[in-house]
Amino acid sequence: MSAADPEPVSFDRALAELDRIVARMEQGDVGLEEAVALFEEGQRHLATCRERLAAAQRRIEELTADDLPAGEEAEAEPF
Amino acid sequence: MKRVGGRVVWSLPEVTGAIWRRFEDVRAVWVEAEVQNLRRRGGQVYFTLVDEHQIDASMNALVFERLAHPPGDGSLVQAYGRVEFWVQRSQVRMRVERIEPAGEGLLLARIAELRERLRAEGLLDPARRRPLPILPRRIGLVTSAEGAAREDFLRNLWARFPGADVVLVDVLVQGDAAPQAIVRALRALDLASGVDVIVVARGGGSLEDLMAFNSEPVARAIAGASTPIVAAIGHERDVTIADEVADLRVSTPTAAAEAVVPSAAELTGALDAAARRMSGVLAAARVSAGHRLAARARALRIALVARGVRADDRQRELGQRLERALALSAGATPARIEERAERLKRGVRAGLERADRRLRHASGVLAVLSPRATVARGYAIVRAADGSVVASAATLEPGDRVAVEMRDATVAARVEQ
Repeated sequence: MSAADPEPVSFDRALAELDRIVARMEQGDVGLEEAVALFEEGQRHLATCRERLAAAQRRIEELTADDLPAGEEAEAEPF
Repeated sequence: MKRVGGRVVWSLPEVTGAIWRRFEDVRAVWVEAEVQNLRRRGGQVYFTLVDEHQIDASMNALVFERLAHPPGDGSLVQAYGRVEFWVQRSQVRMRVERIEPAGEGLLLARIAELRERLRAEGLLDPARRRPLPILPRRIGLVTSAEGAAREDFLRNLWARFPGADVVLVDVLVQGDAAPQAIVRALRALDLASGVDVIVVARGGGSLEDLMAFNSEPVARAIAGASTPIVAAIGHERDVTIADEVADLRVSTPTAAAEAVVPSAAELTGALDAAARRMSGVLAAARVSAGHRLAARARALRIALVARGVRADDRQRELGQRLERALALSAGATPARIEERAERLKRGVRAGLERADRRLRHASGVLAVLSPRATVARGYAIVRAADGSVVASAATLEPGDRVAVEMRDATVAARVEQ
């Protein structure tokens, strides 16, 4: 996981938000207006999750030591 | 030595002394053997060093007791000392000065020593372990391309989540070059874009086979990675240091596959369930929406009618959003839900129409109750000179000027009595 990754956990976040929204909606004291707003928000997270699932493609890249960027030698000293 | 008749007769000390002199030049050596029959007597520890042959041995008990890894019966050791001849009982015995674990014992001792160092640095603290992502974008796999671990992992991974994207780095998993190769692979994957979890896997093996996973460089590479790492180092007896430092330890490559991806079927099911539950709540919210809307719209209308604002605007906007939400709900869910959503939509429309009828009725009532409507029916309003409504005759004096407001006009009048 490189520091430059823009959204390493977007799926996890969307799923957690979706759970939160469903739980909030099911608390029972939600009026129609809030229900509609939560539903709209929930749909966005649902779409994020489904897009991510749909985009997942079975793939394997096989590398050997020769393909790796020349790393430094293993540290002799504790960091 | 004496002569008795024609025979030379030796005393025992002469014999043992002669043998002892033969041992004088024997130097100290290292031997590797198994310890047996270990016992303490007096200030000495006695034991037998056994290989194909055997030799008795002893060691100073105080030194023995201070050993970092004191051997027991059956321990394979390397022992350093001189083989000496003890004249009193004609015994040959190795006087051991140093004794260290050898073979597996040596490996276990090294592992124990490394574990203690890492523990002292806090690297084995369970609080350091990071959670794995639910759905990693890419999965790094460090293993031997030829090993069974690779097949076990990939087969189960794709069975569980067919869209899994894997970057495999083929490494030596045993031998002297293995730690370095594993460290390089871990570092490369840790920096690779999109790799959200790394699995280090190998099948079972002897303690010696697994030593790469007990090596300090590998332990430190795992501890230092910013990507969560799963150790799947097949073994039943001992846990390797790599297992202890990793964010998650599983016992087989198959279990690793289950740990790093969700079941696609379960996940899809959970998303569908979330969609259904949201639609269900929307439907439930709709049940009372009719009169809630009506009540609110009535309140709004009463409050706003004087300012000429139409409460319908607010109601219409909410109605439109609801329609959009229901359309989404229908599009995003299976046919059964679509049908339900259609019913729901019809229900909401009917509810909105009912609410609108109630609003119209409410505004009719409002109109009836309005003072102007009362005036229209033939009543009049009497106002004092300052414009305030005269509600009681007691506030008037003869001679006061008042205005009488009727349906068509207002006339000026004077109180006479």
